[in-house]
Amino acid sequence: MSTRSSDVPVPAAESSPNGPVKESAEGTESGTGTEPESGTEPESGTGPGRDRYFDLLRAIALFRVVFYHLMGWAWLPVVFPSMGVMFALAGNLMARSLGRRGAVEVVGGRLRRLLPPLWLLGAVGVTGMLLGGWGPDEEGHPGWWWLHLTYWILPLSDPPYGEDLPGVQGLIGDDWATAMAVPLWYIRAYLWFVLLSPLLLRAVRAAPWPTILSPVALSAALEFGLLSVPGWRLEAALSDVGAFGACWLLGMAHREGVLRRLPRYVVPSLAPVVAGVGLWYALTHDFREGHDLDDMPFAQSLWSFAAVLLLLHISPSWREWPPGLRRWDRLITLLNSRAVTIYLWHTLCIVVTESLWDHLWSVSALEENTPWLLESPWPQLPFIWLLTAGCVVCFGWVEDLAAGRRPRLWPDGSAQGDARAARRTVLDPAGTPPRS
Amino acid sequence: MAPRTSRRTTRQSAGQSVHPSTGERGEPRANGRRSTRRRSRGRRIPAQASGEGQAPGGGRANVRRRLLPPLRLRRLLPLLVLVAMMAMLMLRGYVHSEVLADYRVRPEAAADRVPRTILDGGPVVDTRGGQATSMDVPDGRIVLTFDDGPDPRWTPKVLDVLKKHDAHAVFFITGTMASRYPDLVERMVDEGHEIGLHTFNHPDLSYQSKKRIDWELTQNQLALAGAAGIRTSLFRPPYSSSASALDNNSWPVTQYVGSRGYLTVLTGVDSEDWRRPGAAEIIRNSTPDKGKGAIVLMHDSGGDRSQTVRALDTYLPQLQRQGYAFENLTEALNAPSAHTEVTGLELWKGRAWTALVKAADDLTGVLVVGLAVIGFLVFARFGLMLLLSALHTRRTRRRDFVWGPDAPVTEPVSVLVPAYNEAKCIENTVRSLVKSDHPVEILVIDDGSSDGTARIVEDLSLPGVRVVRQLNAGKPAALNRGIANARHDLIVMMDGDTVFEPSTVRELVQPFADPKVGAVAGNAKVGNKDTLIGAWQHIEYVMGFNLDRRMYDVLRCMPTIPGAVGAFRRTALNRVGGMSDDTLAEDTDITMAMHRDGWKVVYAEKARAWTEAPESVQQLWSQRYRWCYGTMQAIWKHRRALIERGPSGRFGRVGLPLVSLFMVVAPLLAPLIDLFLVYGLLFGPTGKTIAAWFGVLAVQAACAAYAFVLDRERLTPLVSLPLQQLLYRQLMYIVLLQSWITALTGGRLRWQKLRRKGQVAAPPGEVAVDGGGAR
Repeated sequence: MSTRSSDVPVPAAESSPNGPVKESAEGTESGTGTEPESGTEPESGTGPGRDRYFDLLRAIALFRVVFYHLMGWAWLPVVFPSMGVMFALAGNLMARSLGRRGAVEVVGGRLRRLLPPLWLLGAVGVTGMLLGGWGPDEEGHPGWWWLHLTYWILPLSDPPYGEDLPGVQGLIGDDWATAMAVPLWYIRAYLWFVLLSPLLLRAVRAAPWPTILSPVALSAALEFGLLSVPGWRLEAALSDVGAFGACWLLGMAHREGVLRRLPRYVVPSLAPVVAGVGLWYALTHDFREGHDLDDMPFAQSLWSFAAVLLLLHISPSWREWPPGLRRWDRLITLLNSRAVTIYLWHTLCIVVTESLWDHLWSVSALEENTPWLLESPWPQLPFIWLLTAGCVVCFGWVEDLAAGRRPRLWPDGSAQGDARAARRTVLDPAGTPPRS
Repeated sequence: MAPRTSRRTTRQSAGQSVHPSTGERGEPRANGRRSTRRRSRGRRIPAQASGEGQAPGGGRANVRRRLLPPLRLRRLLPLLVLVAMMAMLMLRGYVHSEVLADYRVRPEAAADRVPRTILDGGPVVDTRGGQATSMDVPDGRIVLTFDDGPDPRWTPKVLDVLKKHDAHAVFFITGTMASRYPDLVERMVDEGHEIGLHTFNHPDLSYQSKKRIDWELTQNQLALAGAAGIRTSLFRPPYSSSASALDNNSWPVTQYVGSRGYLTVLTGVDSEDWRRPGAAEIIRNSTPDKGKGAIVLMHDSGGDRSQTVRALDTYLPQLQRQGYAFENLTEALNAPSAHTEVTGLELWKGRAWTALVKAADDLTGVLVVGLAVIGFLVFARFGLMLLLSALHTRRTRRRDFVWGPDAPVTEPVSVLVPAYNEAKCIENTVRSLVKSDHPVEILVIDDGSSDGTARIVEDLSLPGVRVVRQLNAGKPAALNRGIANARHDLIVMMDGDTVFEPSTVRELVQPFADPKVGAVAGNAKVGNKDTLIGAWQHIEYVMGFNLDRRMYDVLRCMPTIPGAVGAFRRTALNRVGGMSDDTLAEDTDITMAMHRDGWKVVYAEKARAWTEAPESVQQLWSQRYRWCYGTMQAIWKHRRALIERGPSGRFGRVGLPLVSLFMVVAPLLAPLIDLFLVYGLLFGPTGKTIAAWFGVLAVQAACAAYAFVLDRERLTPLVSLPLQQLLYRQLMYIVLLQSWITALTGGRLRWQKLRRKGQVAAPPGEVAVDGGGAR
């Protein structure tokens, strides 16, 4: 079974909206910095200065990923290429940070925030796999197994997992370990992008468009056999760089103002052409459920590039929510603050929900009268989110710890929480983390 | 249509001043919404200007509100027309088997689930009511069956031969063919033949769902009812042969069709006429063992059936001599007829269906002719434009070229700037004029602005700039007032949102060196071409000025002097009675009047004016709606030129038809291109359709590139050309359709002033005036 599945969001590096100290400092900076729109809205002073448009994109991307992993519809990644969007947003933030602080500090900070949530998943997951009978014999030679296990600590390549482990009867399905590994490629790709970012940014500044387009060229070279690499680990890494590197670079280029230097008609004129070619390539290469953009890196690279280009072109840079979206503020804030947790844990939640849902088949009334209800994935959706919410409460704090913040259970930026946080800050500027 | 950029600087009262008594024409003035916007956007608002009630007619705001809904309906109508045409095309595609066509044929499979008795039995299989029996035709009788028809060419011949030899047969018709040729079906029934169903569009039913099978049968019956007013209970599955060839895939279909009440008629003897083996071979194939009865399969459709017809003419008498009778199936089986009359609703549904299909076929024919016409017009226009603009360019760019005996023209010029609420732009406009390298007198005619436009100009206190104020009376009135106040005999007219280059005025008046020249069109350019919609208009303007206007110049029938940049000779203006507000396009109106009076109207390419194009679809729509409708009004106003003598007659017989053809008629047919694009994409040939579309695009791109090169413009905005073809052109022809509907229903159009942002501050390469919102 393939562990690649599309879509995933971001280790929401900078995503805590009401995170104190550093975040708000960055926010203010961005408000007065290179942002072209800084003059259009008066800075509220209290506003965190986040681009709410990016928050919205990240939330949609995350929701789409979970939805796609449940439904598996091939057209979902076409409607909204979440992965490309997530990489673009991350690239954008990376360029912003690199513009202000030294490369070592920025890369170190990113790793510090990215890895602990992965370690927590690994601690739970690898323990589970070991209990399920997974061991050093899995890869022929125990040396390899031990070596690859270090990828759970620093995922320079895909961390290993037990493929044929039994589940817990009636609670967790057999494929849980595989499901758990599904999102990990994203962490690996993200890690590489972060490590390369100082170089990438320099390249973007020196020769923007050749740099941005080079991953697409790489993808084409891999697709058409001009380039072949030994070993699936290297191939997977290159293929992801090819598919999503352009998105990451576009995010950086957007921050650097490369897009703004183009006449505004250029992007809407050219992006549909690129997207059209990508879609045409996908449709003529056996596009169907189970074989979608995620399995066609070249089509993916074109389609994601075009979609991200358009989304960044539109980029209205909301300092505040438009009235219609204000009511979603807390949900979007929460999704942004816990993006990594939700992303890492949701596949496990899906496996568990599906196993539990199967119990309903033993209710004969349901089985006889409403088998469609039992077969349909729709009613499972709320339960998956319920479980995911549970994971946010149970494991989300590690994101705060990783960011050097006081851990919170439910960081949805609600006014009450803010007020309390503010009061605490006032009363206790040292900010002793609550131990409750 | 060609852009002209007359920007209706003033908000016209649509004839209020001329016909004050006809309340219907009166345009209510400012309403609340407009003034709110003005307050929020205006740069400097004098206190007295913000009160709205004082404006004449201000109390009639609710009249305007009541007038809005019909306008919206008019916008809807063109869309409905397009949708209706598309629906008819779909219907045509549907009955031509281009929709839902399924050419898969199931390979042979095991037959262990087909009852032995059926496999070994006769070709008539009866599975009605859960039974499974089969029958064969009694000895001495032959049932001829013809599949896949009716065909307009071969079916009549088959019917003729059958009639000649007094033979009856069974025709298994498909719904698509029956829908298209209902008369033939009727003739079959009238001549005593029997009809069987062969599905609607001939798919292999073993691939189809029960729902689809039901649909195939029902649609086929519908077509039959529409054609002949009957139903039938005979059925033959597509791609079937003899009973012994039934297998595990086709047997369930046979059972299911039986459960719907049909008798399945398979084949006993296959003539194999579709292979076209020659008439003799067909006869040999179709002849059963001595004296035995048979169901013979032939085809009256699906290709050249001349051999079948020829074979029949021999075969029928030959076997009749052997004692065979040719009967239809129920006659041969001594059973009651398979036909039942259809009455009532079913009959009407059938007839409506046949009528609709006929209409769709007819309409498609008309549309194809229309497409050919539009194709010819488009290419003829491109060819003519390229040829004549090259000619014009050669002529005017010759080194020793002079406009006329009075060259160079150095006499001073009056520049008229009519302005209605141009607070954002007027300063840039006036300052650009002051920098002119030709002696000018600048007259700003404030048409009752409420945003302090006049005050802004006065506060600049620039030398040679005068402000004339009037109560809001519309742009033509403002221009006439300007003409009356102008001191000089050469008069340049521009819009309040347009910016001139220092040399614009000088270049614009040079053609007056020829005393026969009465008016000159300048070269209006889009200043705000950064956005997509701006780039599209830029392309349109560059093509319109460098190809269209050069062509019209050579043909001496330029329809419009752009309101943004044009020059007139006072004597000419006086002779035609000045500007008129009879139409919404007073610039087209005056230009046509000039032509009729015998003046030459020429194009001065170097007189560039930078104008601000509409930035929202809404504004673009209303601007183009006005141009379009105004042009139609002007053509109608000057229709008498067609029969007049002298220069007027020349313009009427050359210029007017040309302008009507290119600006009003050809664009009306333009939607056909898109209709057939969609049709071709959906029903194929997809590849050819796409290739043709790209071919047209390439021609267009070549023309655009040529125009850009002539104008020394950068080619980059041309990247938006493909998208323009997919989004912008459609908007333009919907506007045109709407204008037609307005014209035909006698509706009236109000002025809608553009929202300006003051974006075009200066010609490129110059520093914008401070405060002009420089980009």
